[in-house]
Amino acid sequence: MQIGLNYLYSISYYVPECIALLTMVGVLFLEVTYNNNNEKRTLSLTFTSLGLLLVILSLTYNLSLEPTAIFYNAVKIDKFGTLNKLIAAIATFYCVYLGYKSKDIYGYLKSEFYLLVLGVLIGGMLLISANNFLTVYLGIETLSILSYPLAALKRSDEKSSEAGLKYALYGGISAGIMLFGISLIFGLCGTIQFGEITEKLHILTNLQKAILIPSFLLFFVGLGYKISSVPFHMWTPDVYEGSPIPVTTFFSMVPKIAGMAALVRISEVFFIEKSVLQYSWVGVLTVVSALTMTVGNVTAIGQRSVKRMLAYSSIAQIGNIMLGALVIDQVGSQAVVFYFYSYVAMTAVAFGVTMVLSDQYGNDYFDRFNGLIYRNPILAIALIVALFSLAGLPPFIGFVAKFNIISGIVKNGFYTLAVVAVLNSVISLYYYMRLVRLMVLKKPDSNEELYSSTTLMKIMMVCFTAFIIFSGIFWERLYNLTSLGINITVNH
Amino acid sequence: MHHLLSWILWMPAIGMLGVLALPNSKPNVIRYWALLNTLITFALTIVLYLNFDQTVPGMQEQFSVRMPWIKQFNIFYSLGVDGISLPMILLTGLLFFLCILSSWTIEKSVRSYFALFLMLEASVFGVFLSLDFFLFYVFWEVMLIPMFFLIGVWGGENREYAAIKFFLYTFAGSVLMLVGMIALYFVSGQNSESFNIMALQGGKFGDLTLRLFGSDWNFAKIVFVGMFIGFAIKVPVFPFHTWLPHAHVQAPTAVSVILAGVLLKMGTYGFLRIAFPIFPEASVYFRECIAWLGLINVIYGALCAMAQTDVKKLVAYSSVSHMGFVMLGLAAMTIQGTNGAVLQMFNHGTSTAMMFLMIGVLYERSHHRWIVKPDGTKGFGGLYTQMPIYSIIFIIAMFASMGLPGLSGFISEALIFLGIYKEFTSITVLALIGLLIGAAYLLWMFKRMFFGEVNPEVSEYDDMNSREVFYMIPLCIAVIVFGIFPSPLLNMMRESVGALVNLMAKFH
Repeated sequence: MQIGLNYLYSISYYVPECIALLTMVGVLFLEVTYNNNNEKRTLSLTFTSLGLLLVILSLTYNLSLEPTAIFYNAVKIDKFGTLNKLIAAIATFYCVYLGYKSKDIYGYLKSEFYLLVLGVLIGGMLLISANNFLTVYLGIETLSILSYPLAALKRSDEKSSEAGLKYALYGGISAGIMLFGISLIFGLCGTIQFGEITEKLHILTNLQKAILIPSFLLFFVGLGYKISSVPFHMWTPDVYEGSPIPVTTFFSMVPKIAGMAALVRISEVFFIEKSVLQYSWVGVLTVVSALTMTVGNVTAIGQRSVKRMLAYSSIAQIGNIMLGALVIDQVGSQAVVFYFYSYVAMTAVAFGVTMVLSDQYGNDYFDRFNGLIYRNPILAIALIVALFSLAGLPPFIGFVAKFNIISGIVKNGFYTLAVVAVLNSVISLYYYMRLVRLMVLKKPDSNEELYSSTTLMKIMMVCFTAFIIFSGIFWERLYNLTSLGINITVNH
Repeated sequence: MHHLLSWILWMPAIGMLGVLALPNSKPNVIRYWALLNTLITFALTIVLYLNFDQTVPGMQEQFSVRMPWIKQFNIFYSLGVDGISLPMILLTGLLFFLCILSSWTIEKSVRSYFALFLMLEASVFGVFLSLDFFLFYVFWEVMLIPMFFLIGVWGGENREYAAIKFFLYTFAGSVLMLVGMIALYFVSGQNSESFNIMALQGGKFGDLTLRLFGSDWNFAKIVFVGMFIGFAIKVPVFPFHTWLPHAHVQAPTAVSVILAGVLLKMGTYGFLRIAFPIFPEASVYFRECIAWLGLINVIYGALCAMAQTDVKKLVAYSSVSHMGFVMLGLAAMTIQGTNGAVLQMFNHGTSTAMMFLMIGVLYERSHHRWIVKPDGTKGFGGLYTQMPIYSIIFIIAMFASMGLPGLSGFISEALIFLGIYKEFTSITVLALIGLLIGAAYLLWMFKRMFFGEVNPEVSEYDDMNSREVFYMIPLCIAVIVFGIFPSPLLNMMRESVGALVNLMAKFH
């Protein structure tokens, strides 16, 4: 058994994470050296953006690396992980920009936002490439603990504080349960290394297997909480509603990408062989994903706040993505990566436009969107495209993402689940259309200028929309890119 | 010639981009541009007709386009035309051209209206031309987006409800089709998985089983049912028809025309192109069921139409009834029946388009459509003396729709009855009653609106102007000429329909 590279050699594979860490330190320095708030804001933004750009570049370079286990087998660098990190870094980049613009954060912002966001990203990257259970736990905790203050960033707002506390309580409990599960697995197998556990699985007695199944379920609680799958989703709407919009955007992307990547990795590492273990794991994921989709979509219908509606819709989307994890084959993991690339673009537009309106009026109720197309056609059209895409209408990328996911489950014979998934997209279309209807079919309440809709904002929205449409029609290239990540193997 | 089909498909899209590039301040320029564009498209479909080889069954090789689109999934940009799609393409080209003329009076957001309208045309052509299931599906869904906005923004008072209902209903049907399509893809061969509709045809999946809820089912039957629901919602077949009256009543005239004239045919076209030839054994298995559903459509649609006091709703329900005849013709699976069904698809397209256009003309004068107003008084009356030209054209439309001998509806309905009589005699007899009710509600409606004393309101209406007469003339010619001399249409479809019926006959 190979033990992976030692610390010194490992660093060369770990450049992106190191850059992110250095950027964090740099932002901290800027924070203490400058007094002028405005200057500091701009400087930290520039510095963070540059750091993230470097992270993205080095990740792109990492795509060419062969799969390697580093840090004595604790961390696995492979293309599946790198692809997920790449989209997480891009999402972070966008959120950093939103955070700079947002009125929600403006007043409170020193550099904490950048610091915390970068920290969460590092935790997420650790989780994505975790190769033993301790790293998984470490990743999740880094991710979570830094998320709590992010949720409570709007200090004077009660809802924001509530969100932070709620997030912390839920996070603490589920991490505890997860740790309990991990310790049971350790007790049964005598190791926390993924590679060694897979070998042990063959020689376990039936009784040991019977204990292993619930231990994995306990472990799943932690991940399920992070990706907010039903029944661990209760925190999501409140936290999303209470947090400032850039933070909400961030929460709906990065932790979910990281958690889902870990879920896919664990499913593929431990449950690839047909056995009673696979049967029960897939069974649990089937029920959980069907519930997640349905509960998310049905609850989204009655919401009054767009942010809350988007929170529930993101729960439903996660249910969809889980379908890619439960098939445990290459088509599935590829579909998950593809889904995230489209999900980030669509969610970015949805939250971006919501932020513009929420900055203007101080809330994001549905009727704020009345007649938006007559007031600000670019933002409205971008949002309409994003919403149709989220519902899975062609020729937008959301359709292709759903198509890939459903291909995966139909190929593996989950026909009922496929029907549940597509009927769910009909429900989702209903509440997305509520918003579209308001934007197009209602008269605008006022004609005042939307001051947050700056040229840069519009350009970004147009770029995302162009991506959604273009990649929805010519998705061959994106498909090729995401299919780099189909091989998840354990290092022996 | 090689790229003719691509030109037909993308010409409206070019038109749409042109409309978007024109300034909103010059509505007339936009209107003329859209008119010119649809005229060119219509001319291209005529060129297609002139070059069409009527002796070849199946797809016409000289027009076929096949380019790889997504290689990993074996998805092709693949277009083709045969005797079944050609009448639909001609109908689409003609109706969109006429509808642009009838939309001349649209004043609200002219640019968006015509852009969406042309987008709709492109997606409709896409559905009728695609030979790749994935491509077909994309166009099938894309079509919903312009329809939603056209009904929702330019429709009547209750337009939002109608638009959303239409959208959700059709989307629900098509996602079931999506699952069926993907399932089909994975069983279509070990190494040759494909969405190629022509390669999938021929009943290759009759023996496969599918595991569902812990027991084995026949793959073909289950997937057929899924697709059937998808197409049936579009037709619409009886339990799925409830979106149609709302959508029709609320939609602006031109959109109603397209909806009834072209979009409903996409459902039956789906049966002819996809559901029947891919799953012949399942379609034969279910055909009695389809015939009964068709019968319910005929009778129930006609009875509902009779009860209506809104003339547009009356015509909408008459569409349900007439599409029932198409379903009957399809269920017969005989040469006459299928010919009749395709012919009925074309003829219903022209006659119902006339009806909706005529109602639109009237609505522009009266701003209501009540035969009997909610307060019990007559909505119209004495139109015949007031608007003679209008009345004559209306009579032609009405009789064509009723199926009077000498007009187009008669031929297709007669063929359908000839085809189905031997197969399902009792259903034929019952369906004839539907024909009778059809005559009754149309004549009764005509009596109440056109005869009797002249209403004071009606005496202020002008007769049709030359633009309105102009766009009715081609349709009048179509219903009269194809009523007396249907052979151009029948020759066009004969070989393709023959091939389809032969395929089905193997599984009887």
